[in-house]
Amino acid sequence: MKKKKINIHTKLIVVLAVVCAVVWLFPYIYLISSSLKPGTEVVSIPAKFFPTVFSVENFTGLFKRMPVFDYILNSFIVAISSTLIAVIFGALSSYAIQRSGAKIATFLIIIVLCLKMIPASSIAVPIYELITKLGLYDTRIALIIVYAAINMPFVMWVMLGFYEGIPTSIDEAACVDGASSLQTFIRIILPICKPGLATAFLFTLFLSWNEFLLSLLLTSTEAKTFTVGLSEFLSAYSMDLGPMCAGALIFSLPVMILSIAAQRFIVQGLTAGSVKS
Amino acid sequence: MQLISKKTLLAFFLPGALFMGVFMIYPIFKMAFDSLYSFDPSGIKEFVGLDNYIKAFTNESFLQPLKNTIVYIFIAVGVELILGTIFALIFERNFKGNKVIRSLIMTPLMIAPLVAGLIWKLMLSSQFGIINQLLVNVGILENSNQILWLADEKWSLLACCFADIWLTTPFMMLMILSGLQGVDRSMLEAATIDGANWWQKIIKVKLPSIKPVLLTALSIRIIDAARTFDIIWAMTQGGPNGSSELISVVIYKTLTRYNKVGYASAMALILVVALVVFTLVFMQGLWNPKKKQTV
Repeated sequence: MKKKKINIHTKLIVVLAVVCAVVWLFPYIYLISSSLKPGTEVVSIPAKFFPTVFSVENFTGLFKRMPVFDYILNSFIVAISSTLIAVIFGALSSYAIQRSGAKIATFLIIIVLCLKMIPASSIAVPIYELITKLGLYDTRIALIIVYAAINMPFVMWVMLGFYEGIPTSIDEAACVDGASSLQTFIRIILPICKPGLATAFLFTLFLSWNEFLLSLLLTSTEAKTFTVGLSEFLSAYSMDLGPMCAGALIFSLPVMILSIAAQRFIVQGLTAGSVKS
Repeated sequence: MQLISKKTLLAFFLPGALFMGVFMIYPIFKMAFDSLYSFDPSGIKEFVGLDNYIKAFTNESFLQPLKNTIVYIFIAVGVELILGTIFALIFERNFKGNKVIRSLIMTPLMIAPLVAGLIWKLMLSSQFGIINQLLVNVGILENSNQILWLADEKWSLLACCFADIWLTTPFMMLMILSGLQGVDRSMLEAATIDGANWWQKIIKVKLPSIKPVLLTALSIRIIDAARTFDIIWAMTQGGPNGSSELISVVIYKTLTRYNKVGYASAMALILVVALVVFTLVFMQGLWNPKKKQTV
């Protein structure tokens, strides 16, 4: 008798779960279906969910309207390079902070946490001036160094949590064996922190790939990233909404696939510094 | 004992510190400095003391976005918390396909906020938007022009919240789920023996024991929501008539459209200080779980 009741409960839960999933996927499915509609159908009145005929019109329209590959290339180069810089220097810096053992370490850790909270929109003003002064306006280099800097506190925060868990006796043992500090760090500490590095790397990669505000401010033609390209559809006529959907889809598909494949690291990244294990 | 020499530590520390120093710490000091000046369009600057701050706190151009930001945080984060808890309770149950469905729900997690904004803008459009069409189909609306989500001052901010809620409820769910999975099984068993039903178990056992996780998730989300820019920019750009303008949007506009560097700096610094203070207070209360356990 009791078992039956539990079964009904579970069934109800499954139904609820499926309903949630359908509701949550709805916007995404709508985006996919819209991008496969003929251009006129995207803005048809009344709105239809499914395309009546499948068409790649929106994709060809997108490619006609903007240099898709250039923008993707810019986004990709900027995201990868800035992420590498942020992870390498961030990992080193936070190691130094964690192992310095001084009172100053606590202070620095708090600074890192505060920097992590600073919104890009608020420091955009001086960053823009600085980049212009350096003569780097509208270059990939500008975006790479700025992204690397603003994502570094996050990397450091993730890595600090990992270093904390590694006893200094491991450093000591390596030191006795005659390894230099850098060797110890690269050969012994980093391999232990692989999950942390993966989290920091993937998460920073996504953040840089998705970044919009600073790219909007710091680029005009040469180094324009995909997000800025997409945002230009905002000022366009409604007829261009089809290509916009196609663009949004192309841009987000790799993110979706990667984030499902690397879910574990994403979850760690999202909760970094909050749930202290 | 100093294991690694000071020199080496410094060498490790400096490159990263240099990046952050130049692009994060220097900008803050620069802003603090600039916020005391008024900048002429011709580039001449004039010392005005705290005028920019006084202006911010007495002028609608800052107070309205401030109010909007607070409303936005309340609605978006509040709904995310409730939905996230419900989702987590659903997925706490073991059933076939749990992981697959959960992964599907988590797909928006890393979508660019800008893209989320664009998708919702399309869906909420009054004439050819699918949402209004659905509402007409189920009989809530009479025609699809009845609610102008993005063009009506009453609705624009709420419409932007939708995108935020869609984007980050999965995050809430994840945090709360990880909390729920850590709830002491023996306490739940004891409650069952005492005859508690599922609702009582949720209210009396589960929610109180995940309170730290709930508060942490809330703090993270509040900070994130307070910095929202992309979603708003994609959906309304702050309009109509400033009804959905958040602080980050007004900072950006003040800088790029009106070129008022001093005023923009003052507003930006207020936002930074507010967030840093919030972070530090939140850290005091939550960050150090060890301290709490010993009490």
